[in-house]
Order: sequence, then C-alpha cells, then structure tokens
Amino acid sequence: MLACLCTVLWHLPAVPALNRTGDPGPGPSIQKTYDLTRYLEHQLRSLAGTYLNYLGPPFNEPDFNPPRLGAETLPRATVDLEVWRSLNDKLRLTQNYEAYSHLLCYLRGLNRQAATAELRRSLAHFCTSLQGLLGSIAGVMAALGYPLPQPLPGTEPTWTPGPAHSDFLQKMDDFWLLKELQTWLWRSAKDFNRLKKKMQPPAAAVTLHLGAHGF
Amino acid sequence: MALFAIFQTTFFLTLLSLRTYQSEVLAERLPLTPVSLKVSTNSTRQSLHLQWTVHNLPYHQELKMVFQIQISRIETSNVIWVGNYSTTVKWNQVLHWSWESELPLECATHFVRIKSVVDDAKFPEPNFWSNWSSWEEVSVQDSTGQDILFVFPKDKLVEEGTNVTICYVSRNIQNNVSCYLEGKQIHGEQLDPHVTAFNLNSVPFIRNKGTNIYCEASQGNVSEGMKGIVLFVSKVLEEPKDFSCETEDFKTLHCTWDPGTDTALGWSKQPSQSYTLFESFSGEKKLCTHKNWCNWQITQDSQETYNFTLIAENYLRKRSVNILFNLTHRVYLMNPFSVNFENVNATNAIMTWKVHSMRNNFTYLCQIELHGEGKMMQYNVSVKVNGEYFLSELEPATEYMARVRCADASHFWKWSEWSGQNFTTLEAAPSEAPDVWRIVNLEPGNHTVTLFWKPLSKLHANGKILFYNVVVENLDKPSRSELHSIPAPANSTKLILDRCSYQICVTANNSVGASPASVIVISADPENKEVEEERIAGTEGGFSLSWKPQPGDVIGYVVDWCDHTQDVLGDFQWKNVGPNTTSTVISTDAFRPGVRYDFRIYGLSTKRIACLLEKKTGYSQELAPSDNPHVLVDTLTSHSFTLSWKDYSTESQPGFIQGYHVYLKSKARQCHPRFEKAVLSDGSECCKYKIDNPEEKALIVDNLKPESFYEFFITPFTSAGEGPSATFTKVTTPDEHSSMLIHILLPMVFCVLLIMVMCYLKSQWIKETCYPDIPDPYKSSILSLIKFKENPHLIIMNVSDCIPDAIEVVSKPEGTKIQFLGTRKSLTETELTKPNYLYLLPTEKNHSGPGPCICFENLTYNQAASDSGSCGHVPVSPKAPSMLGLMTSPENVLKALEKNYINSLGEIPAGETSLNYVSQLASPMFGDKDSLPTNPVEPPHCSEYKMQMAVSLRLALPPPTENSSLSSITLLDPGEHYC
Repeated sequence: MLACLCTVLWHLPAVPALNRTGDPGPGPSIQKTYDLTRYLEHQLRSLAGTYLNYLGPPFNEPDFNPPRLGAETLPRATVDLEVWRSLNDKLRLTQNYEAYSHLLCYLRGLNRQAATAELRRSLAHFCTSLQGLLGSIAGVMAALGYPLPQPLPGTEPTWTPGPAHSDFLQKMDDFWLLKELQTWLWRSAKDFNRLKKKMQPPAAAVTLHLGAHGF
Repeated sequence: MALFAIFQTTFFLTLLSLRTYQSEVLAERLPLTPVSLKVSTNSTRQSLHLQWTVHNLPYHQELKMVFQIQISRIETSNVIWVGNYSTTVKWNQVLHWSWESELPLECATHFVRIKSVVDDAKFPEPNFWSNWSSWEEVSVQDSTGQDILFVFPKDKLVEEGTNVTICYVSRNIQNNVSCYLEGKQIHGEQLDPHVTAFNLNSVPFIRNKGTNIYCEASQGNVSEGMKGIVLFVSKVLEEPKDFSCETEDFKTLHCTWDPGTDTALGWSKQPSQSYTLFESFSGEKKLCTHKNWCNWQITQDSQETYNFTLIAENYLRKRSVNILFNLTHRVYLMNPFSVNFENVNATNAIMTWKVHSMRNNFTYLCQIELHGEGKMMQYNVSVKVNGEYFLSELEPATEYMARVRCADASHFWKWSEWSGQNFTTLEAAPSEAPDVWRIVNLEPGNHTVTLFWKPLSKLHANGKILFYNVVVENLDKPSRSELHSIPAPANSTKLILDRCSYQICVTANNSVGASPASVIVISADPENKEVEEERIAGTEGGFSLSWKPQPGDVIGYVVDWCDHTQDVLGDFQWKNVGPNTTSTVISTDAFRPGVRYDFRIYGLSTKRIACLLEKKTGYSQELAPSDNPHVLVDTLTSHSFTLSWKDYSTESQPGFIQGYHVYLKSKARQCHPRFEKAVLSDGSECCKYKIDNPEEKALIVDNLKPESFYEFFITPFTSAGEGPSATFTKVTTPDEHSSMLIHILLPMVFCVLLIMVMCYLKSQWIKETCYPDIPDPYKSSILSLIKFKENPHLIIMNVSDCIPDAIEVVSKPEGTKIQFLGTRKSLTETELTKPNYLYLLPTEKNHSGPGPCICFENLTYNQAASDSGSCGHVPVSPKAPSMLGLMTSPENVLKALEKNYINSLGEIPAGETSLNYVSQLASPMFGDKDSLPTNPVEPPHCSEYKMQMAVSLRLALPPPTENSSLSSITLLDPGEHYC
C-alpha cells in the first residue's frame, strides 16, 4: 500500500491540474480522467478475454455467474442506487481512489502468476494504465481540495499466494477481480461524467490548497 | 492282548505328548498377533499409513511373517481391499505399511484390521493365522465450516493418462448437486446419500493451468452453493533422447540431449523437469541449469573412461539414460584454420591448413571438398598438425571454393566444422578453334561474306576472350594476307572480297594466347546452283532433316537456318554434322510455333569449300492463319459476282496455306452447285466451298438470284485450321432489268447528245427557221424618222387616234414613300393625303373584243418597278372607289402596313414610285413572274408593244389581311382589268 501511495505521489506532479499556474479549474483533469477510464474499459475487455481463456471453462463462459466465493477483500463496485446518489463528490472520489488502490495491488499478484509471457506483458501494461488512473483521480481530488484517503493500518491489500486458497478459489478470485474491475471502471466513467457536467458551468476557479494537504 | 494294551497306551501317550507339544507351540505363537495398530492418513497422497508391532517375539530372533490386511469403506462389512504383506519381523520392531486409496479419503470413512501368520522355515507346517485385530476407523475431517458442499481431492497433481476418482460431500441430501468437468456435466456413482464419486478414466492434459471441475448444489432453481477443484494433469515425462558427450580440448565435456516435452504446470504446481548429470566412476553429480545441454569439467587427466547417467525428474516421475565412453573416442575437433592456397596456376594449386593441436602424436583425418564449375570433388588426407594437399586437373580461369574439415584419425567420432576459402586458377590459351560459318552474297564483281562464329565455351575459352583475329588469304593471287581483329564479344563480321578464292582463318584470343584457327575457303566460283526448296514438317522436338550425300570426299556437312521472316543476321544458326552422317535433328528451344524456318544443307569438301546441297523450309508447329484476306467484290451482276483477294500473302503466315474456305449465306435453303452445307461455330448454317490451291485467289459465285441478299466470308486454312472468324460481307445482286435499262439508256443518251451537238452546230439555221428575231422598235426605221424631224417628244402615235376606255389621273403628294414589291413589297406613308382620282371608265363593259387601243408610253419608266415584274400588276377595278374608301383610312393603311410590310420599309426612295407602269403582257397574278397564269388573259392586239399604265399606289396596296396575296386576288375582276 505504501508503495502504491508513493507511486501516486510520484505521479502527482504530472497531473495537469496541479501544474497549471493559470488556473483553468478541475474541468480538464476530470475530462482526462474520464477519458482514461473509458480507455481502460476498452483495454480490460481484451485482457479479460485472454485471461479467462487462460483459466479455462467455466470461467471463460459468457453466462458464468458464480456466487461470490472468496474474494471478500475485493472492493465491491455494486452499490444501491439511492445510496450512490446520496454520495457527495468527495465520497465518490474517495471510494474510487480506494477501490483502484486495492484492485491495483491484486492485479499485480495476478501478473506474477501468469504463465505466458504475452499475458504478463498485457497485465503489466494494464497495471501501468491503472496506476495512471489512480494518479489522475488523486489529481482531481487535489484540484477540488479533497484530501487523499489515508490507508488504515492493517488494512493494506495484499496478495497472498498461500496454500489456504485452493486453486479453484484462486481462479474464482481472479474472475471476480476482473469482474469488479470492469464494474468499477463502468461506475467511475459515470462518476466522472457526472462530475464533469457539474463542473462545466463557469464557476469560480478552484485554487489548490497544496499547503493544506501537505504538499 | 497285553501287548495290544501296551501299544494302545503308548500310542495314546505319544498322541498326548504330541498334542501337548502342539499346544505348547500354539501357546508360544498366539502372542504373535499384531498389536498396537495405528492408522494415519496422508490426504494429499490419499494414503493410509499403518504401523503395528508384534509382541512376544523371542529376543534377538527374526521371524518371517505374513500379515493380511483388510480395508473396509463406509462400514466394516464393506471390505474393499484385502492383501498380504510379507516381511521379516525382528524383536520389538514397529512395522509400517501404506495403502493408497483411489477415492479421496475425505469422502468416506475407512476401516482397517490386520492378522498375521508365521511363514518361517524354522517353524514347520502347519501354521495358523492369528486372530484379526480390532477395526481401526480412519476419517479425514475436512468437511468443516458452514459450507454445505465439498469437492475432493483438492488440487491434485496427476500424470496424463491416469485414472482419477473425485467425489463430493453434500451436507443436505435435499440438494440437487450437479458436477461439471470443463463446463460439461459428469455423472457419478452415489456411495451414500451424502457422497457421490466420479471416475475419470485416462485424464488428458488440457492446459498447464489445470482442468476445472466444479459442483453446484441447488434446490429447485435456487443455487445453494458451488465448490470446485483444479485437477493438474502433467504430461508424461519423457526419457531424454540423443544423449551424448564429447570434448574438443580434453578440458571440458559437452553433453547434449533432446529433452522432449516440458512438463511444467502453472501456478508453480510443477516446475519444468530438472536434469542431473551423474558420473559413476568419480561419483560426481551436477545439476544442469539448461534443459538440453550441460558442461562437465574434466579434472583428472588419468580418467579415460566415463560412465554418465542423465536423470530427468519432475514431481511425478524420474527418467534416466546412461552412456559409457572412452574420452579419446569422443573428440570433436575445432574447425581447421589458416586455410591458404599456394602456387596457383592454370590447372593446379596447393592447399594448406592447420589443425588445433590436441595431444602429442595425434593423427588427423581431413576431408577436402573442391567446388567449381557446378561440380564437387572430395579428397581425404591424413595429416599431423599442418595439412597440405595438391589440387590438380583444375580448369583454367575458374573460381573454385575449397574447404576442409578434420577428425581424429585413430577413433573417428565426428567431423569438425568446415573451414574454406575461394581461389581462382590462372588463364590459359583457348583450347579449341571457334565454330565459324558464313553467308556469301553475290554482288556484281565481288562476294560479300558475312562470317559468324560461336563464342567459345568456358571450358575451351580458358579465360576471357578479348578479340577474334580474322586472316583473309587470297588463294588465286599471291598477295599479303589481311588481318582483321574484331574485339569481343562480337560474333560476326562482314568481308567484301573480289571474285577470287579466299581462305579465311578465325582465331579466338585471350590474354594468354590464341586458339587453334578455324579455316573456311570461299570459292571463286560461287554457289549458283538452283536448288529446289522442299517443305518439311517440324515437331515440338525440332526438325528432322536428311539429305543425299555429296558425291566425292567431304569433311562434313553444315546445316544452317534462320527465321524465314526475320533479318538473316539476327537469327542465324548452324550446326556441324560429321561426314558420314546424312541426317540430323535440329532441336532448340528457340524454335517458336507459327514461325517458318528456312534450312540450307551444305557439304564441306576436303578443300573446305562449301557446296549447297538442299534447301528445306518448315514450321516447328503450324498454326492457323492469323488473318483473313481482304476480299474485293468484282463484276457484280444480277446472277453472279466475283470475289478476289489477290494481295493476300501466303508466305508470311504461321503455317503453310493449303487453300481457302468460302462461306456463303443466302436466304435460299439449297446450296449452290460446288458448295456444301456447313455449320458455323455460332450454330448457324451456311454453304461452304473449299479452294485447295493457295494461289487461286479469286472465285466467281454464280447462279445467284437477282435482287437477292448474300453474305460471304473467306478464310484461309493451314494444317492447324482456319483463320480467325470474322464478320460476313454483305452483297445484294442488282435487278435484272437495270442492266437492260443501261443497255437502252446509254444509246439514248448518246443519241440525245448527238442531236444536241448537231443542233448547236446548226443553231443559226434552226433559229432562223423556227423563231426569227422580233424586230426592235428602237431599231425600227421610224426612230430615224423622228430623229430626222428633230421632235423632242417621242410620240409614236397621236392620241387622237385612240379611243381611251378610261383615263386615270393621279396627283401624288410630295413626301410619300412607297415600296411596292408584289405580295412582299411594303409601303410606308409618313403622311397620307387624300389623292384625287379621276377614273376614265369604259363605256362598254365588254372590251375584250378587238378594238382600237390607246396607250401612253412614259419615258420616265421606272425600271425598278418594272423589274418587280408582274407582282406589281394590279388591275384597275370598277369597284375601286368603294374599296378606296375602305383603304383610305390612314389608320387602316398604317395598320396594314405595319402588319404585313414593315419589313420592306425604305427599300425604294419616296417620290420614285409614285407612278408605276405595268406591262399588260405580264401575268395578272401576284407571285413569281415565271409561274404560269391560271387564268390566262388574252393579250390585246397590240401586245407586242409594251403597254404601260399608271397604277395607284393605294390600289396596289394589299388589304390588311394576313394573306396579302389572296386578298389582292379578290380585288381582281376578270375581264375588267385591261385598259
């Protein structure tokens, strides 16, 4: 988790919203985050197809919808519509940020297990893109003056290749990881679209409170 | 009896003692029953591990025993396996034995018991089995937690082709459980209400990520839970193939093998098989890091023999191969080096090389390969360290590639890699005279000799030919020889020689020297013999030629040929034939179908003078004609026409023209004589006539019908077929009478012309006879009389001599502009004033009878108006006043003018047309003056004189109608318009 956070902080200077001296507001960085989300959605479609074929049936069957066995630690993207609507921007962004932080760590575990070199390359590329998304979300949050969520001690997502998991459950975890990623990206696209529309009217420029967030 | 009693007592006592002994033995063996049986499990291996002891064994005594083991499943009565285990049991020894279950142990409780028997020679028969131990129950409790379904075995690793049993445990028997293997449902055997087992026979390898098996529990359509396992199926580990070791420096042994299939599985379930090299003499072992080769360091110089075992191993299996060899027998030399060539000349060279030294007194076998001119030569040579080989019989000026490889001569193992170099031999003088032939053209006073020669083959050129020397020597007159040097690559030259005999020598020269000379003699007496050309048929393989032998001594024959149509110099070829041969086959790829080739066969006398023997011409393959003749139709009559195609060349065709096919189409169903019915390629029928003579290039088609439509088409044919199909030419025969008409008309026209000529010649006579000249009043004598009287007024007659019918006096106002040009004449009045008219009306209505006439001849006769002809002839109508009233309205007139005559405004100046005099000889009709009057009017008696009268312009105007001509006519009153 610390590594993830460090990576995010490393990428923060690259976020346009933080670099602009003339303050264009958070609009462009939200747009870029939205675009990146859509790109990742597209990228995941091909990656998931390859990886699930690699796992074999029933995981690559289109109508396979197993009960969510294991994978409890994966952040769930599904949420009640009313609850979702009641969330404010800060909460939504925080949830997105936390979810992708977790998913990224699990995804790296997936990369380690992949047997074929081609699949490892695809996964590494996707991880890099997801890392970029995480940085973008952090940039948007900073532009809007929201603090980044601090990881609670002892809740760092870790990838454990331990024997506690049976191989079948491990495959199931991989399946759910990809499925949650897909749902999260879909949800994030909606979130950023919503935020983008909200920020579209000419509003007062949002100034960065970098000092307040410890930058 | 007493004896019997004693015997009986003894027997009973013996028997008793025996029974006592037996009971003692049994008493001794009964404690040998297995005791302290403990059963443990290995869930991964699905095995039961039994351990027990045998009590009461004599101290330090070994005893062979047999243990029988019984295993039951689910309940003790369900015995699934019984087997014996024989072993030697020592005092106080704990015995171990394992059994592997095909059914995962988690799915069923197992029961084990054991009994034993002594099977030792020290204890003679009979032996008795001990009692069974008590049943030991074995249960692997992994079905814990809240789950309602469990599938076993978990993530098992098996080898491809093995039989695997899987099972599930369902806690709720109400649930319906379905199991799937790779997405396909499988059916099993129910062991009890909770447990079902599935036997998978000979499982295949599907993927290294494992085969997925899962079960789903459901009640109705509601899923209650799902559990699955991954069965990892490994490929069978293969034995390494082609295992061998060799050394190239006696320091390292390089061992290689073919590893076969990689048995690695995903998720590190099984890594790739490992390879270990073990040498038995030294007892050393090395784990190889590569999967197909390994290097072994030679540490002891003294060790000559090695015994290697290569062990391939994975989690499931171990395979090994073994080789035993002497080190000196496995020497793989490094490739030779310093390959060089010394003393290279035109035909030989010395090749040298060096071999990497291995040990002292080593002899090497080397192999040399020499590649050049598409050939390969191989030589073997035995050398020490420095190799040398003399390469001979090489071709001059040729590039060779020589390479060498070596091996241990004493114990051949394998050749080293090749080491090679290229070298080129030096040039030598050409070894053969060039093949020369000639064409002699006779010209007035001299010979034009065109010499041809073929380039020498590389084999004979022995280098690059730089030039050809042609030496011409006159054989008739002593003179100096002429030398012509022609640079290569020319292959011909032209010489103009006078009518003497000449000897021509041709040599090819390279940088080293000249070839032998090729000699040809041109005779002073030219070859003027007329030789008939013979047609021959070629084949795809060429032309087969034969000829009559030349009388006298010949040194050979020459056949030359060229394309019939092309330039001689371009495609000229020849072939030399031996003196005893009178036939040959000319076969070359250059022969093309449809091309005619001319062959000439010469005999070469001992004096090297050529004599033309025969001429032949032919096609390697005849083709159908490429074009059809242009046909002309001559002498077309009603019953025949002639077709001719004189300009069609039969010589320049892709085959010998054998004749022509004439196709004729007509409406008549019957063909004409000589024609036969034929069906064309398009299916239509026509008549066909065949001309067999290719020089017959005309055909008279007769017996035709007049005024009939015919179509014809002429195509030549060769042995390969007809010419291309083309459109038919259409001919229509003329009418039968038209010729007759011509026969009649022509003389008639001739006669008419003759008469006309004669008339012309006799025109004066005819004129005088038929129509004498009309006297001209101006030339009459009366004019001379008037002149004589000097009367300024031209008065021909006195007015008093005439009785006028009517007198019209018109006073014309000034400024009136009138045009009067018949029906299309226009008139414009800028100002119309009412004119004053005076009509002199005739006293008698019928004035047509002969009577005196009075006319004025106005000397101011308006020529223009007069020239307008009879168009201006408007008779004076008695009803004119009434009409005048209608017309005098200025508006009406203006309208009429505007409507009909506006186009002619201003053609005649005002004041000049106030009076018009109309000849009474003119037609009364408006219109063309040449047109005949429809109502001819009798001219008055004085009609041969021009009578003139003034006509009112107003009256001359047509009414304002669209058809002025008709309107004008309506004004006419026949019989009343003459003066």
